[in-house]
Amino acid sequence: MEATFYLSGAVAVAATLMVVTRASAVHALLYLIVSLLAVAIIFFVLGAPFVAALEVIIYAGAVMVLFVFVIMMLNLGKAAAVKEREWLSPGMWVGPSILSALLLAELIYILVPNVQDVQGAYGGAALSGGVGVDSKEVGIALFGPYLLGVELASLLLLAGLVGACHLGWHTELRSGSHPASRPDGVRS
Amino acid sequence: MNPISSALPSDSLHLDLVTLDLATLSPLILLAAAAVVVMLAAAFYRHPRPVMILTLAGLVLSFTALFLPFLPQGLAGTPSPQVTALLVLDQYALFFTGLIVAATFVVAILCYRYFGGGESRHEALYILLLLAALGGGVLVASSHFASFLLGLELLSISLFALIAYPRFTEHPLEAGIKYLILAGFSSGLLLFGMALVYAQLGTMQFVKIGTMLAAPEETLELYGLAGLALIVAGVGFKLALVPFHMWTPDVYEGAPAPITAFIATVSKGAMLVLLLRYFLMAGAHQSQSITFALSLVAVATILAGNLLALLQNNIKRILAYSSIAQLGYLLVGFLAFDRLAIEAVAYFLTAYFVTMLGAFGVVTVLSEGFNGGSAGEFHGAAERDSDRLADYAGLFWHRPWLAGVFTAMLLSLAGIPLTMGFIGKFYIVTAGVEASLWMPVITLVVGSIIGLFYYMRIIAMMYASGSEAAGEAITLRVAAPSFAESAMLAALVLLLVWLGIFPAQLIDVLGGTMVNLT
Repeated sequence: MEATFYLSGAVAVAATLMVVTRASAVHALLYLIVSLLAVAIIFFVLGAPFVAALEVIIYAGAVMVLFVFVIMMLNLGKAAAVKEREWLSPGMWVGPSILSALLLAELIYILVPNVQDVQGAYGGAALSGGVGVDSKEVGIALFGPYLLGVELASLLLLAGLVGACHLGWHTELRSGSHPASRPDGVRS
Repeated sequence: MNPISSALPSDSLHLDLVTLDLATLSPLILLAAAAVVVMLAAAFYRHPRPVMILTLAGLVLSFTALFLPFLPQGLAGTPSPQVTALLVLDQYALFFTGLIVAATFVVAILCYRYFGGGESRHEALYILLLLAALGGGVLVASSHFASFLLGLELLSISLFALIAYPRFTEHPLEAGIKYLILAGFSSGLLLFGMALVYAQLGTMQFVKIGTMLAAPEETLELYGLAGLALIVAGVGFKLALVPFHMWTPDVYEGAPAPITAFIATVSKGAMLVLLLRYFLMAGAHQSQSITFALSLVAVATILAGNLLALLQNNIKRILAYSSIAQLGYLLVGFLAFDRLAIEAVAYFLTAYFVTMLGAFGVVTVLSEGFNGGSAGEFHGAAERDSDRLADYAGLFWHRPWLAGVFTAMLLSLAGIPLTMGFIGKFYIVTAGVEASLWMPVITLVVGSIIGLFYYMRIIAMMYASGSEAAGEAITLRVAAPSFAESAMLAALVLLLVWLGIFPAQLIDVLGGTMVNLT
């Protein structure tokens, strides 16, 4: 089992290296998804299937959405369409595909023995000495001793939201009647 | 070993939240509630004046709530200061929360005219300010890595938006991006350090780390030590200690002046208070290598801060380097790690808060600010604050009161007697000498002498009589300070001199509060 830990760790490191060295943001995002999936496998192997699921749903899922948004929102015309075709050239799929194929193989290797094992409710015992933590225990901890942490995290989100709302406010909606007071015509 | 199952069974009895704890938590709850109320008020009635009054009311309420534990206890019995494993609102935390709330009050008043007064829509600023103050309050009260990180992030995330608040102006945006990247990087270091310490000891509570390390057979192994070093580095970024200080002058220069005051005081102060609590509670000061590294950092910080300040021609940059040097002085007192050291750090930090708020307050009052039109945009005529040294030439002959306030603040930073800065420095030196920290103490003295030069340079510039014309420009551009601003600056100066002449009043308070930490 330990081999799976090191393999997904290696995949995560390799994918993250590719993220920081890619010139195109979209290619980097693709590798980022692979890196996050690899981290999810690490969590799973360490006995935290709930965190692994969250990692996939929130991080990998949100990054996918970001990916789609980048393509959709920057879609400004013919030039962008050409660029988009360049981004989606077959060559760029090779690297992420190999890495994710490795992860998939690993996942099958972990899950297949446990399918026959009825006791292994959530992927079975992970690394030696590890104890699985399921979602119920996470919930009890979050709403027991760590309740204040949850509240603080929600206020953290409020701060992020208010800040983003201010910084990203679209000006032309409101200041349309004051064209003179808007020197940054390019932006709107 | 995993965090959740090990924390649950043994601690759940006294670590769950009970109603009594809500009273203990009330200063922080009131800050959070004020942020939500202000947000709702701004959503339904977008006008800055009521929003700002609500903000100030929230801060005052939260400050009043700090005195709840000192009331004669009623039927409920004495609530314990420890609220779940995450926060501990002992008198140490209460004192510094009070300091943070008071500083936020001053900054909120300074922001009003600077960001355009009733003419411009800058309501979101007050929500962020309240949340940042809450982050600072959580930091000074945290006794657990989780609340440490959450408080820090709450403070940092509010600060990104506050720094870049005039979002169509180049300098604040640049400063915001710089702060964003460096704060993210330092949080990463901090998190990795926490993970390493946790990997060795299996607990994230400061007290438990302390008791585990107090056992004779248990010491920090190599990676636990690496974790501690990473934590110190992450905190060092926030405190702008010397190998990690590069961002400070740029961010201080770019950020709007009142926000710079906030970064210099609340953000740095809360972090230092937390670091002191961590070192004392978790017993990190018993590690020789870390204390040795910190004393080298203190020496480098004092020297670099003072020497680099000599080369600057921009007031905000001079004050930035000066704040780096002041943090170096604080670190000297910090390294003594005894009761006197805590008192010295607390006194010096109070003096530092008062002087930095006063100094940046004068810069704010003399700047036009970002008062956009009614469309709520921030692209006023000012591309930058009045922060060039030349702007201050002959200031005394046009705005004698402001020049006087600025002089008092600079003299306090330089450590001239009759100001709080002198007593603070005296205190630090005493603590340092008693702990035989000769090297840092000697550097402190040398640094203060160098510092005198650039403070005097600004003062001489303000009183130069031949240059009235240059100073006149600023008087023409900027209206006289409002009543609230003048009152605030006057109060700061009075406090500075009063506590500089009669320090015993503050010291008595400090002596009462600091006792129960060690």
